[in-house]
Amino acid sequence: MARPRWLGTAAIYAVLTLLSIVWLVPVMTVVMTAVRPFAEIREGWWNLAGASLTLDNFGRAWQEAGLAGKTMNSLIITGFSVASTVAVGALAAYAFTRMRFRGRGLLYFLLITTMIVPVQIILIPLLPWFRALGFSEGSWQPFLGMVLVHTGFGLGWAVFMLGGFFASVPRELTEAGQVDGAGHLDEFRRIVLPLALPGIVSFAIIDFVFVWNDLLLGLTLLDQEHQPLTVGIANLQSAHLARQDVISAGALLAILPPLVLFVVLNRFYVRGLFAGSVK
Amino acid sequence: MQQAGRARAVPYLFLLPALAAFALFYLWPALNTILSSFFRWSVLSPWTVVDPGRWQFVGLGNYLEVLGDGRFWNAVRNTLIWLVIFPIVTTAFSLAVAVLVWETARAARIFRTVFVLPMTVSLTAAGVLWALVYNPDFGALSAAIGVVGLDGARLDLGPLHLRLGEWLSDVGSLSLGITQIPLVNLTVIAPAFWALTGFGVISFTAGLTALNPELVEAARVEGANAFQVVRHIVVPSLRPAMVIVAVVFVIYALRTFDVVWVTTNGGPGTDTEVVAIPPCCSAG
Repeated sequence: MARPRWLGTAAIYAVLTLLSIVWLVPVMTVVMTAVRPFAEIREGWWNLAGASLTLDNFGRAWQEAGLAGKTMNSLIITGFSVASTVAVGALAAYAFTRMRFRGRGLLYFLLITTMIVPVQIILIPLLPWFRALGFSEGSWQPFLGMVLVHTGFGLGWAVFMLGGFFASVPRELTEAGQVDGAGHLDEFRRIVLPLALPGIVSFAIIDFVFVWNDLLLGLTLLDQEHQPLTVGIANLQSAHLARQDVISAGALLAILPPLVLFVVLNRFYVRGLFAGSVK
Repeated sequence: MQQAGRARAVPYLFLLPALAAFALFYLWPALNTILSSFFRWSVLSPWTVVDPGRWQFVGLGNYLEVLGDGRFWNAVRNTLIWLVIFPIVTTAFSLAVAVLVWETARAARIFRTVFVLPMTVSLTAAGVLWALVYNPDFGALSAAIGVVGLDGARLDLGPLHLRLGEWLSDVGSLSLGITQIPLVNLTVIAPAFWALTGFGVISFTAGLTALNPELVEAARVEGANAFQVVRHIVVPSLRPAMVIVAVVFVIYALRTFDVVWVTTNGGPGTDTEVVAIPPCCSAG
């Protein structure tokens, strides 16, 4: 024991502090670029001499760059997709964890594959199919189509994660319910759903982040008027090569909702990830 | 009898909405992808399953065409770079961070939050953030490198040619005999690495919480040093988590295109193009 213990601890703190600073640099960069006039940023955002604050960039991103409408689109798509995925996924997860039936293993396997297979595999046929179903035109139809596609793709995770939470609801409780003559639907609504509520919330948060952050589906399936915020940001990035201030403001707008959700519901989120990763 | 029949139908009723969404928006398009790959079609005369009159069967023709296309193999090489670098580096790094954070009992929550927060950032936004960090004129990376006098530095070391400064266009290359590896792929991978490290940290932290503290204490009493404890007790107990984390990262490496599209759009030239870039978005 030549080396004192505190030396090792100090080294660990030093390494982690350094890494944390590196980890925060991109975030600092985007915040500073968004809230300061672009002329100041040219000297480097870390240069704080004579720094001034402005909300101009947000205004421009919101109006000129059209991110106001895209934010609305993202909220609509994400809100309904999460609700739909949770509802459809919870019913399915209940069937898989509480019932025995023919083809159970095969169906479970098929649904789970949506977790692994990249969206790209189905993208090319999906576009004409989307059109054939009438989802490519109209005011609300594209949203509906998008919600259904996201539901199809979120199912694997929903069945996997919600199934895990449902399985942790003690069977004795539900069996007692069945003796009382309660049907499966009653048991689902009155016993399993309330007891697994924390799990459902954590899945909803994860699905929210997932849908909100989708670029690929929004980019390929939707027209300008229905595209989500991610597509707006990506287009800005390629179109306005020298407008880093507006892009930064837009990127912050896109980052904030999942971040706020994460901070507010941190405990649920972490628990959901734990459930997903430990099993 | 009828009662039994109804009871048998109940599970399928619960599954009906899920199976409908799955069949309509996943299985059916996927089958179409497989089927249409054996037929000749184009944007102007798209392939349709309901009109056999227009089917033009070409067998493995499309596959042979792709396999003979140099651009495809270029994309395969870049995807292989992702597949080798991203899962290994991100898994190892997040494991190291999780273990280090675990050792700092007091500040663990603060450190963990810093590494986990970027998980909520979309890869699109991560690409935007890093494009700012990489900016040669006012980005933090060039400035940091400039402080030690290395901005614009060039290093030629055998097969390795390193160029510092133009982070998203020319970072140099590594010659491997059969192929040149454009190092700009690494700067494109970095935002994904930054964003997804949190997933590994959370997963490994979950594994560490489940670790029996008595086991660690016993090993320490027996005279094991910190490194031996990590090597012989912590890492083995995290093996299941490591497999899951690595698999998730492999999936990400295979499907990711957002970062590439936002930072370099597959360029310069086709240097960072990956297999997962959809037809809409390749630089052309």
